[in-house]
Amino acid sequence: MPPELDSTGRPEPEMWQSVEQWLDSDRFRELMRDEFPEDAAEWLDPISRRKFLTLMGASAALAGAGCNPSVRPASPRTVVPYVQQPEQIVPNVPLFFATAMPQAGGVGLGVLVRSHEGRPTKVEGNPGHPASLGAANIYALGSVLGVYDPDRSKECLNRNVGTSIDRVLDALRDELGQQRDKQGAGIRVVTGPTTSPTFAGLVAEFLGRFKQAKWVKYEPFGTANASRAAAAGFGQPVNAVYHFDKVKVALALDSDFLAASNPADVRYARQFMANRKVREVEASLNLKDGVGAKALNRLYAVESMPTSTGGVADHRLPLKPSQVEAFARALAAKLGVAGVTAPTNLPDLAKQWIDPLAADLTANKGTAVVVVGDTQPPAVHLLAHAINEKLGAIGQTVTFTEPVEPQPAEAVAGRVKAGAAGLAELTAEMKAGQVDLVLFVEVNPAFDAPAELEFAQALSAADKVRTRIHYGLYQDETAALCNWHINAAHYLETWGDVRTFDGTATIQQPLIAPLYGGKAPVELAAELVRVASGIMGTAAGQSEVNQTEALELVKATWRKVYDAGSKSGEFDGWWQQAIKNGVVPDSAAKPATVGAVKLDALSDKAFTGPEIKGLEIQFRPDPTVYDGRFANNGWLQELPKPITKLTWDNAAIVSPKMAAALGCGISYPWTGGENGNTEADTVELKLDGRTLTAAVLIVPGHADDCVTLHGGYGRERSGRSGTPDGKPAGFNAYKLRASDSQSIGGDLTASQATGTKYQLACTNSYAFMESRRPVRHATAEQFAKHHDFAQLPPASAAEYKDIRALTPGTQEDWERLYGPDGPKYPYPHDDHHGGEKKDDHAHHGPHDSRIIPLSLYPDYPQQVKGQEANKSYRRWGMAVDLGACTGCSACVIACVSENNTPVVGKNQVSRGRAMHWLRIDRYFSIPGTEVMSDELGGRQTRWSGREEQVQRSAAIRTHFQPMMCVHCEKAPCEVVCPVGATVHSADGLNDMVYNRCVGTRYCSNNCPYKVRRFNFLQFTDYSTGSLKLVNNPEVTVRQRGVMEKCTYCVQRIRNAEIEAEREFQTRPKDANGRPKIFDGEVVTACQAACPTGAIAFGDVNDPQSQVLRWKAEPHSYGVLAEQNTMPRTSWLAQIRNPNPAMPKGA
Amino acid sequence: MATVTETTHGPHEGNGQYPPHPEGVIGGSHDLRTLGDKIATVVTEDETPRGWWIWFALGFGLLNGLGIALLYLFYAGVGIWGINQPVAWGFAIVNFVWWIGIGHAGTLISAILLLMHQKWRTSINRFAEAMTLFAVACAGMFPLIHMGRPWLFYWLYPVPVNFGMWPQFRSPLTWDVFAVTTYFTVSLVFWYVGLIPDLAALRDVGRTRLQRTVYGIFALGWRGSAWHWRRYEKLYLCLAGLGTPLVFSVHTVVSFDFAVAIVPLWHATIFPPFFVAGAIFSGFAMVIWLAIPLRRIYKMHDFITDKHLDASAKVMLGTGMLVCYGYFCELWMAIYSHSIYEVQTSMERMFGPYGWSYWALLTCNLVIPQLLWIPRLRVNEFALFAIATFVQIGMWFERYVIVITLTRDQLPSSWGRYAPTAWDWLTLAGSFGLFLTAFTLFVRFLPMISITEMRELLPARQGGRDGHSVMENAK
Repeated sequence: MPPELDSTGRPEPEMWQSVEQWLDSDRFRELMRDEFPEDAAEWLDPISRRKFLTLMGASAALAGAGCNPSVRPASPRTVVPYVQQPEQIVPNVPLFFATAMPQAGGVGLGVLVRSHEGRPTKVEGNPGHPASLGAANIYALGSVLGVYDPDRSKECLNRNVGTSIDRVLDALRDELGQQRDKQGAGIRVVTGPTTSPTFAGLVAEFLGRFKQAKWVKYEPFGTANASRAAAAGFGQPVNAVYHFDKVKVALALDSDFLAASNPADVRYARQFMANRKVREVEASLNLKDGVGAKALNRLYAVESMPTSTGGVADHRLPLKPSQVEAFARALAAKLGVAGVTAPTNLPDLAKQWIDPLAADLTANKGTAVVVVGDTQPPAVHLLAHAINEKLGAIGQTVTFTEPVEPQPAEAVAGRVKAGAAGLAELTAEMKAGQVDLVLFVEVNPAFDAPAELEFAQALSAADKVRTRIHYGLYQDETAALCNWHINAAHYLETWGDVRTFDGTATIQQPLIAPLYGGKAPVELAAELVRVASGIMGTAAGQSEVNQTEALELVKATWRKVYDAGSKSGEFDGWWQQAIKNGVVPDSAAKPATVGAVKLDALSDKAFTGPEIKGLEIQFRPDPTVYDGRFANNGWLQELPKPITKLTWDNAAIVSPKMAAALGCGISYPWTGGENGNTEADTVELKLDGRTLTAAVLIVPGHADDCVTLHGGYGRERSGRSGTPDGKPAGFNAYKLRASDSQSIGGDLTASQATGTKYQLACTNSYAFMESRRPVRHATAEQFAKHHDFAQLPPASAAEYKDIRALTPGTQEDWERLYGPDGPKYPYPHDDHHGGEKKDDHAHHGPHDSRIIPLSLYPDYPQQVKGQEANKSYRRWGMAVDLGACTGCSACVIACVSENNTPVVGKNQVSRGRAMHWLRIDRYFSIPGTEVMSDELGGRQTRWSGREEQVQRSAAIRTHFQPMMCVHCEKAPCEVVCPVGATVHSADGLNDMVYNRCVGTRYCSNNCPYKVRRFNFLQFTDYSTGSLKLVNNPEVTVRQRGVMEKCTYCVQRIRNAEIEAEREFQTRPKDANGRPKIFDGEVVTACQAACPTGAIAFGDVNDPQSQVLRWKAEPHSYGVLAEQNTMPRTSWLAQIRNPNPAMPKGA
Repeated sequence: MATVTETTHGPHEGNGQYPPHPEGVIGGSHDLRTLGDKIATVVTEDETPRGWWIWFALGFGLLNGLGIALLYLFYAGVGIWGINQPVAWGFAIVNFVWWIGIGHAGTLISAILLLMHQKWRTSINRFAEAMTLFAVACAGMFPLIHMGRPWLFYWLYPVPVNFGMWPQFRSPLTWDVFAVTTYFTVSLVFWYVGLIPDLAALRDVGRTRLQRTVYGIFALGWRGSAWHWRRYEKLYLCLAGLGTPLVFSVHTVVSFDFAVAIVPLWHATIFPPFFVAGAIFSGFAMVIWLAIPLRRIYKMHDFITDKHLDASAKVMLGTGMLVCYGYFCELWMAIYSHSIYEVQTSMERMFGPYGWSYWALLTCNLVIPQLLWIPRLRVNEFALFAIATFVQIGMWFERYVIVITLTRDQLPSSWGRYAPTAWDWLTLAGSFGLFLTAFTLFVRFLPMISITEMRELLPARQGGRDGHSVMENAK
């Protein structure tokens, strides 16, 4: 039964507590509601609010006390200082030592090496060295990692079993003893080209003992073509030295003279690019810090593979390598070089080039120059000499010296076999069993010999060569085929000597004792001579080699030089001074007197190189691992190559049109995509019956019907970087390259895409600017009309004022910077703009002033102690001149070395996790006629249009933009960090506090420049002992899970501040009464390394500073400044100087 | 009102003596006893249904996957995921926002609908609240594990320690920590307070000593005295009041993670309302997801009626329209702004490499929910379940699309792509495991529907109070 319902529909209660409830009257209901008088009881609780808080506070305090570290010892270890202070060593104060790095061809680059407590940690340029001028290139900067390479050869080997050096020398002695009767007919010494007087002298001594022994000099990419041309043209193999500081118009014929593959690149880049920096500020011009826009030099580049040189050129003509000779002939004929007729088989565009180019060169007689790349056949070099002669360049912009490489004496000369031919002869002799002893000194022919020689097979063939000794830093491919191996010492571990491009010598000094006890090259050579003397005796005119210590050997060489000269003072003082300066005084090669260029050899078939038909392939040294010698250098492997942005691999590079013909394309897998991962098709390349399957990378601007393949990859035995997981990285170009196709091969067969894909780790594959104009560029003509063209932002004009706000705005400043008449182009500039944005500043004015105050960010510079930080502190700032950047990437390696940036490997790069704090963004464009217009990646260009434009690859321009943390005054990263791990310093640095970082990565998302780098995994190698030694102790080594980024080399800034404070008494004071830090006293690693001086850094508050002058230039702008970030780093727009007479689109 | 003290368990169906509920929120013919028995016996007596075992096994299996994924994550670092430069946030943040969105329906149902006198909330509020808790737990896990150094997670809290660490209060992530922590705490308390009378009821009807002991402990000595009820109702009302702004604040704050950043298309004022609407949208989809299997497996058709499905579907449709208005606004504002970044990023979002995800999102969130205009589909279990599934996928894609915006932001040189790895997927699946395991255990050991409130909801003639004592019978 359901309960009874009352009148309101409720069930009747079964029991009643009172009559009122039974009646259920209104009064009762009210009473029930008031049963709990509102909230009176709560205040009677036994625990009061105060007491509760007191107890809570006390327990929290107790918990805190438990965490107090002061109750525990700080460290269980005891730290003991030096008991006896070593001479010159102050803990944590680095020392710098001058030495020189032997580069390609044995040509030295003078460097200063920083040493921390006896270990070299960083290479810097040597300002006193003619090839360096204070800067360095990637190979020199990266070489310090080579010292600590864990894969270096650590011991001598006998048939791959460890042995001692004495055993090797015993074997050598035995073998040489057997050669006694044969006068050493079975002895071959194989080395690379060397400029070391000591080494070359010792080898010559050795050859003097064994009259039948031969010396083979081989390097895969040599300068033989230039030497042959010089020998033919001038009658002697003179060495050309260019003076680009005097050059107004240059023509580069397949020459990448600005890139590190040229041993003199650092000097040439500095000199040439100095006249491409546009300066309008009077003070800058007075200081020769650039030139006025009207005085810019001009560069024409004719090349097939886009290079740094082509990238910065004003006009670039893509031409197949085999057509360069025709181009040179046509130009020579046009210029009236006698005996040269213009060929008819030039492409149309090239034909259109000749007239205006010849006119421009002629108009600049005496200041024009033609440079030719080493890969071009001797005929082109010879034509260039003739053209240079015609242009009055010889003696002006190009001079000649005696060869830098020591020329062997008469008795020996005939037995020196150079180049591929020398190696071919050696191979034939080995096959014929005529060789008993072969000694490889820091060469790797088993890897890089011309393919048709099958050198490796010949070397390994059933012990035809009885004693095969390999000497080198690595147990490489050649070492594997030898029965003896001697581990070498790194150039930073030994004494030695080396000459540079103009012959200037440097005495190399060791920075550290050989880590693995290797021998120096000169020591090895001395051992050879000593053993030989023991067997053959010492005849008249031959020197006694009693000891084999490198220092004494080198000293002996230079004592002779010293004695021969008319030197004043003691030898020891002279010697010390030479070592300290890194330059032996007056050691430059003697100028060679050259007569008129003889062109007879032009008709010689051998001189023009084999005729190239059909599809072409050209072989070039790799931009980062060179010929393979740096294959195990992780820094260089991970360095994106200047144009392709490829890391850890090489590829067959073709033009878009040719790729389409081969059915090859590029796709970007979802992992990493354009920022790391490129999936390329592979094709089978076939040259003279030799095949190689290689990935195809498409590069706009490459010549059609031509493949570029860089050598140096495909190392079978190098180490963890060059041969990761035991598999060779990249594709071995030497498997295709033969003696007759050392630089260019014809009749190449390229299959259609095989269907197999290959993953390439390319950073920055997205090459369009998308109307955002991170790189702003104009021609000198456009710049004259629109001085403020760079102030045109893509979205709003907010930055216009922001950037101006970064520079001192007082009338006096402007007058000082721009001369007594004040700014030539006063701001705000009320001229029309051109370009896309037609609005004028009057319109922007109210718009902009509205944007800036509407910011949630605090007003940096902050108020510090009641003063405005901008005025009371130093304000560090940077400016980068895009007009001077060649994309050489020396800054990147310098940054890696200075800041302990980890190497992450191909896999991680392909996932978009490269760790470089400084990257070089590369964009392609086709500048239109209007200022700043861009027919590639412009808003107005559709994708279909872009593809068409890319196919018309002739007109492609390359732009390089170094991009690192810009230290925004209103940094988007700072506000979003939940733990305050990235904060602003009073002097305007955007500091990163690694210890505080928990790794939310919000800062990276909010950084519009995407310059923050995250340790996604434990990237820093904590486990390899030797790699710990290369770290800069002044920079924290980062753990996994921590964000990092450019710090403006804060350690260098703080060191300078400490130094200034130490010298408080003697230094002048700055505006705030602090000891002045002089402009140029703080030099960031990238700035120091930059060959062209494209980076300025300093205190923006210092009215004399270079960075301030740069920022005051009319073409200074801030990338993405319209985002209201107020970047401290600004860029100077790129201003090119094209020839108006050139055909359109060239 | 007293709790039922009898331990006799009659048939689970109503006794057929009452007219249907006037608002259709309780089906069958229940009185206080049959109602209590129906819900309580699920946890005290009934055999665990096979459906439960299936869901539990699935959830527990996935939970183990989560364990493996997290162990490896903590061992190796977040690099095992697909995140990179420029996409530094990936699945972890997508999942975080998605789960926290789901976590909104519970408190909305318990608090806001309570305050708005929506009687139909009553039978779904308990498991919706549980869903909220578990969803927020899943969500809360992600920001912690996505940190590069997760062992330092406590640095995000203002812990007074002597190394001087203190959160940076301008960061939305700091706000997040407070918002999510507060939301979780309040939701937990709200849920637990609501459970107390039910726990006491279970204690009283518990079949085994263990049940009586455990439920007794958690019932906190509830005796059903008028004082208890008085305080309970007051507290419940206060918590409802407290929970209401939290529903808006949490997802508003979560949306600040994006809106405060200057990434194109993130930096928009539309985000807070748009995110809250989206959260309710996906939350109700989840309620539908849970309600339909629950009522089938446990034959709870009397309590989870068509009326409930219909109302949930209507909320979903309404909030879905709001969300789609948000999509429109984003586009409109981008084009109206004339900012190259906003316009081009919008174009990239629609037609770039990840365009498919944007269209998937619109299909799931804009097109498919329009089916809910058809009344028949709103009460069709299969159709509704399917539509809710699409909504869940769509809302997940919404967050995916937002995070993927990072692939193409201001500087083209850094444009890249992002793809999850197997570990990303395992972690996502594992979070389902965590949720399912927790939810199935909840269903097994706690009353999935509030016995107390359902009794109150009964018409007076059936022994109830015609609604919530907290609201309808308050002054």
